[in-house]
Amino acid sequence: MYNVTFYLRRLHSLCGLVCLGGFLLEHILTNARVLISPASFNAAVDLLASIPPQIMIPLEIGLVATPFLFHAIYGAYIGWQAKNNPQNYSYINNIQFWLQRMTAWYLLVFLAWHVFVLRILVKGGGTHISFQLLQSYFQNPVYWVLYLLGMWAAIFHFCNGITTFAMTWGIAKGPRIQKVINAGSMALCALLCLISLAFMAIYLV
Amino acid sequence: MAEQKTVTFVIERQDGPDQKPYTQEFDVPYNPALNVVAALMEIQKNPVTRDGKRVAPVVWECNCLEKVCGACMMVINGKAQQACCALVAQLKQPVHLAPARTFPVIRDLLIDRTVMFESLKRIHGWINVDGSWKVHEAPRQNPYTAQTAYEISHCMTCGCCLEACPNVGPQSDFIGPAPVVQAYLFNINPMGKYDEPTRLNALMEKGGITSCGNSQNCVQACPKNIKLTTYLAQLNRDVNMQALKNIFNN
Amino acid sequence: MAKATAKNRIAVVGGGISGLMATLKICEAGGEVDLFSYCPPKRSHSLCAQGGMNACMDTKGEGDTTYIHFDDTVYGGDFLADQVAVKGMCEAAPGIVEMFDRMGVPFTRTAEGVLDLRNFGGQKKKRTVFAGSTTGQQLLYALDEQVRKWETKGQVHTYIFWEFIKIIKNKQGVCRGMVAQNMNSMEIKAFREDAVILATGGPGQIFGLCTASTICNGSAVGAVYAQGAHIGNPEFIQIHPTAIPGTDKNRLMSEACRGEGGRIWVYKNGQPWYFLEEKYPDYGNLVPRDIASREIFDVCVNQGLGVDGENKVYLDLSHIPADYLERKLGGILEMYSEFMGQDPRKVPMTIYPSVHYSMGGIWVDREHNTNIPGLMASGECDYQYHGANRLGANSLLSAAYSGTIVGPVAMKWATRCNKLREMEGWLARKSKGESLMAAQEKAIAQPSDSDLRLYEESLKEARSIHMVMQPKIESDGTEKPPVIDQNNLYALRMEMGDELTDEELEAARQECVNEFENILQMNGEENAHELHQELGRLMNKYVTIERVNKDLDFCFGEVKKILARWNNIGVTDRGHWANQEAMFVRQLRNMILYALVITKAARMRDESRGAHFKREFPNRDDEHFMKITVADYDPKTEEPVITYEDFDHSLIKPRARTYGSK
Repeated sequence: MYNVTFYLRRLHSLCGLVCLGGFLLEHILTNARVLISPASFNAAVDLLASIPPQIMIPLEIGLVATPFLFHAIYGAYIGWQAKNNPQNYSYINNIQFWLQRMTAWYLLVFLAWHVFVLRILVKGGGTHISFQLLQSYFQNPVYWVLYLLGMWAAIFHFCNGITTFAMTWGIAKGPRIQKVINAGSMALCALLCLISLAFMAIYLV
Repeated sequence: MAEQKTVTFVIERQDGPDQKPYTQEFDVPYNPALNVVAALMEIQKNPVTRDGKRVAPVVWECNCLEKVCGACMMVINGKAQQACCALVAQLKQPVHLAPARTFPVIRDLLIDRTVMFESLKRIHGWINVDGSWKVHEAPRQNPYTAQTAYEISHCMTCGCCLEACPNVGPQSDFIGPAPVVQAYLFNINPMGKYDEPTRLNALMEKGGITSCGNSQNCVQACPKNIKLTTYLAQLNRDVNMQALKNIFNN
Repeated sequence: MAKATAKNRIAVVGGGISGLMATLKICEAGGEVDLFSYCPPKRSHSLCAQGGMNACMDTKGEGDTTYIHFDDTVYGGDFLADQVAVKGMCEAAPGIVEMFDRMGVPFTRTAEGVLDLRNFGGQKKKRTVFAGSTTGQQLLYALDEQVRKWETKGQVHTYIFWEFIKIIKNKQGVCRGMVAQNMNSMEIKAFREDAVILATGGPGQIFGLCTASTICNGSAVGAVYAQGAHIGNPEFIQIHPTAIPGTDKNRLMSEACRGEGGRIWVYKNGQPWYFLEEKYPDYGNLVPRDIASREIFDVCVNQGLGVDGENKVYLDLSHIPADYLERKLGGILEMYSEFMGQDPRKVPMTIYPSVHYSMGGIWVDREHNTNIPGLMASGECDYQYHGANRLGANSLLSAAYSGTIVGPVAMKWATRCNKLREMEGWLARKSKGESLMAAQEKAIAQPSDSDLRLYEESLKEARSIHMVMQPKIESDGTEKPPVIDQNNLYALRMEMGDELTDEELEAARQECVNEFENILQMNGEENAHELHQELGRLMNKYVTIERVNKDLDFCFGEVKKILARWNNIGVTDRGHWANQEAMFVRQLRNMILYALVITKAARMRDESRGAHFKREFPNRDDEHFMKITVADYDPKTEEPVITYEDFDHSLIKPRARTYGSK
């Protein structure tokens, strides 16, 4: 009657790209400061930490946690309704569609772990996040690999999301523009993946 | 290549809607123009499996054999397509045939596609003419728009796009690319345009266009080469505009 | 109390253009339709019409008139079509096109947005409206959409995947219902109907390989023929000269190929022999269809020169520049490579004439009534409009036009049925009421205690009937008594006869059930599909392009043998779920009966006219055969009885048909 599904789906698309996408970019940019120097990274973290919790907590809840929970829960419901078939229809777009869902399932678990450990246990417990802390954290190669995969999964999910966003919102209509946008977003994906690999590599050195 | 004598078909069969599927293999005499329907017809004339068992002939649906009726869609070597134009010479052998399980299976390769025709009702898939009597001269139409309409109007409701779409199936309520895109056919008609909001609102409902996940399999699977994803994007645009109108004009 | 004024209920069998058009007309007139089709309407054979639909739109400045269209059609049909009927069709054609246009058919348009016209065989003017190369598909879809709209309004009840088995006649021989079977659940059901319209299409499958869909088996026509419906002009079967032979079907290859320079040839003594060009130097490969068909037949069958010893010849486009071909024939050539796996731009295509259309069919009058009252026929399954040969692009027109005629006719008939039902019902209640009143009066005069309870009950009933008998303006479910005109009542009774009783319906159903169960038990040696193939081979060999009396006699005997062998079919599938084999066995018998009709009628017509050609009688014989063939079923011999009937050819005087000299 009121087309609730329609608005939920559009909201899902919007908060995925804008809120979560924005937060992801922020993450990448901050973490990439490691590439300049560990000190630079620490400074960036400190800057963020200097925002008083009265402002930070509502921001985190309103712009990150809530959209994330909505995107995750509703996304799981959507993902559940797909019968993935890249083995029979191995077209690029279909593989992307499948990866979108696979990365989503991975991110669901990974982010729960990541948020619980780093944001709630560590930071919430009053420990200051710093390069040194992360470096010791990543001494465990399993953690390092899982984090890199999580990073890549999030980046792919976001970049592929740009393509589908262009489609869902009727921005890209013809096959050519759809192809161009897809190529662009996949290029962005590759770039961001490289950057994340680079800053993750620093922790190994 | 040596002269080929026979082709083996591995057919997924099922005696009824609630029965368990099983496979049977048949050998069919080969000829270069053999297609899957012709092979099934051969099996009909001599329904004996490779191991010499006499069985009930395979049940399937076909009409025109010219790729216009859409009846003989089935899953051939994993891909949904029309059986009548699936040339055996171009297929990997043995050829695997299976019913399109996106739809309820009636028997063997015969499936129930009623849902597609019901979806056409849902999207108001018609021009609301007053009657078949003489009214007035029909309106002129932009020949280019008419060309687009002609392209979309080739849709033969075969169900390839639904079978290929990962978002259509018993697990989901998505009506599928074909019926959604049909809405656009009527929306671009000079008289069909009058009912555009009705159709767009219907597409906004649960199982409508929002269930599209952009896997883009439909446009690859369409045997009529209808640019489904293009019209889906256009409809997305139209539906979004309609949503804004619904919010701000009421 | 049941409401006596039910809506008119009409069965339409067949969901092609004609059936859907009739359905639409009935719905618009307020009737209800039971639409039977053994495939979804969108998959009907009307789809396969490619070229277009003829209608005098006269938008090309050629001064086309409906009269020229009429003349072309009659001339093309070799003067064997009812001229009044044809004239009606040609005059209605532009209106039908406009209707289709309003329904959203994506016709091909000129740059200024009006309908484009193309040339077609046998016509003097550009007169063919078209939607690319899929006109039939587009027209069918438009009607399907309109019918779907009526379905949502509840006036169309679709029985998709139900197969028509036979009609039910009442004691007076009027068709008042039909029996059909669900093709999945195998349920057999009898339906009470006011009228039955058959729009079941052509009988192509009788010839085995043809350009028709697998569903065009003529089974329904065979069934009603065996129940007494007459068949008109069955011997006229159109053969298209260029079709792609296949093991499953012959696919049409458009005449445009030859128009664009395609050459037909075979090897003779190791050299290419362009036999058409040699024999007809003036026209070459572009001789008229029937001549081309006959020559190809001659080369392959009589001279045995077909490609690889098979019945096919080359249609060669490989000498024409590829880009020119792409521009002119792209779509068609793509179709060829799709189905044959060969590129016609590089290698010659192999083609052979194929059965394409049946001009003949169920005999109908100009209103499409058959000789059985209450049974109508329209579309390719009737015999009207095309005479001895159909012009290209006239089939879509006749399908749609006959639908617009038969729908209202059926509706009128059903309304009269309903009127009679209303009056009979009223009279029955009235007489019952009166006898009850009389009984009451008697009971009051001589009260007897044994009758007391009975009296109470009858009083109650009488009151309720009395209520009905007293018409109320603001009636709450009570009915108004009909005006009963004794003459009218008598006339209607004579016309419609009795309503089918429940017992009659059940008996008809049971008969079909028994028949089906018997088929399931068939335990002989023959395979139905093999038998069908044999029938097709026979018919294709003897009753197509060139007919010889001796051969026709032989063929008739062979088909009779096939009819006998039908009893010896063995069924492998004895189940009661989606049993296509058993249904095919039933269809096959009707097809064999129809094959006998075609063969016999061809044997009897000792002349050459239109699609019917006998070398023994190469000329048209107006003196003896300017008549319609009428075939009637003789249940004793299971053979047709052929008679001839005059028809209206008063408008255009017959003249020699000489396409040969341009």
